[in-house]
Amino acid sequence: MSLQMLPDGQETPDVQVSWEDQTRINTFSKLNSRLSNLEDEQKILADEKEYLEDVSTEIELIDEDELVQYKVGDTFYWIKQSEVVERLEKDSEKTEESLILLDDKVQSIKDEMEELKTALYARFGNAINLER
Amino acid sequence: MSSTEIKPGELGYVNPRGIPQAPFVEVVEDYVRSRDQVESVLQSFQEMLSKYKYMEMSTLRRAGGLREKIPDIQKTLDTVLFLDSKRNSEEPTMTTTFELNDTLYAKASVTAADSVYLWLGANVMLEYPIVEATDLLTSKLKSAQESLKLCEEDLEFLRENITTVEVNTARVYNWDVQKRREEKETAAQLK
Repeated sequence: MSLQMLPDGQETPDVQVSWEDQTRINTFSKLNSRLSNLEDEQKILADEKEYLEDVSTEIELIDEDELVQYKVGDTFYWIKQSEVVERLEKDSEKTEESLILLDDKVQSIKDEMEELKTALYARFGNAINLER
Repeated sequence: MSSTEIKPGELGYVNPRGIPQAPFVEVVEDYVRSRDQVESVLQSFQEMLSKYKYMEMSTLRRAGGLREKIPDIQKTLDTVLFLDSKRNSEEPTMTTTFELNDTLYAKASVTAADSVYLWLGANVMLEYPIVEATDLLTSKLKSAQESLKLCEEDLEFLRENITTVEVNTARVYNWDVQKRREEKETAAQLK
């Protein structure tokens, strides 16, 4: 993902890299690492969402007045099923919100990277490799 | 902002945490006049690179510490908020299963009271009214997230500079290779 060093004897592509080009390359690489961080976060949240969905279905099988263990921090609290259902709904909402926010961020980074990619390939052709 | 301030991307820029921007080699001949200088220029780039890498390492470590701290604060805040929601409810007393040690849980009856004890570190624990505890934890959480953001910003800036220096190195190296080939060709023609 950067300009490669040429081994002795290989044809030197005659490309002059300007500061502007360099900035583009740097920005691309910056966005690339930012993207992979966000994608990790996205995965964690998506998993969380799935767990919450699963548990929300499962909990329907339990009687409303029965006590269930609900985890806050590192401790489980015995509280009524009906209350747990409420709290789970709030948790789901929160996760959903953060996920939407994250998706937006990921999309805008991807768009910006696509633009840079077009510009850089137009400028350097095969002398540069921007694929992950 | 004053007009004399150096913006990012300009020569001599220093980021808000004092990390200098690496110089960029636009025209190799500006940096190396003859092939004798190639080695010393490459060496200076190498030095720059190791400095940036060192800063990257220590910033990574700091970010790692913060990444561990943030969920801890979040968990404590969640608990305090939970107790807060319980203390005025019909059933402020609950049975809890709490972690006594790794994989060992015990049962306890907890009544959500108006105050909580926060572990401040260095063997100190302090009693706080729930509202104050919430404020304290919220502000701690915010400042930790803020520091992490700055760390990440620095890391991006450092990585950019590392790329710049690496490209510089590649460029000077390639220039040297080409010059050497040209010299060989001239020598061959002279024979």
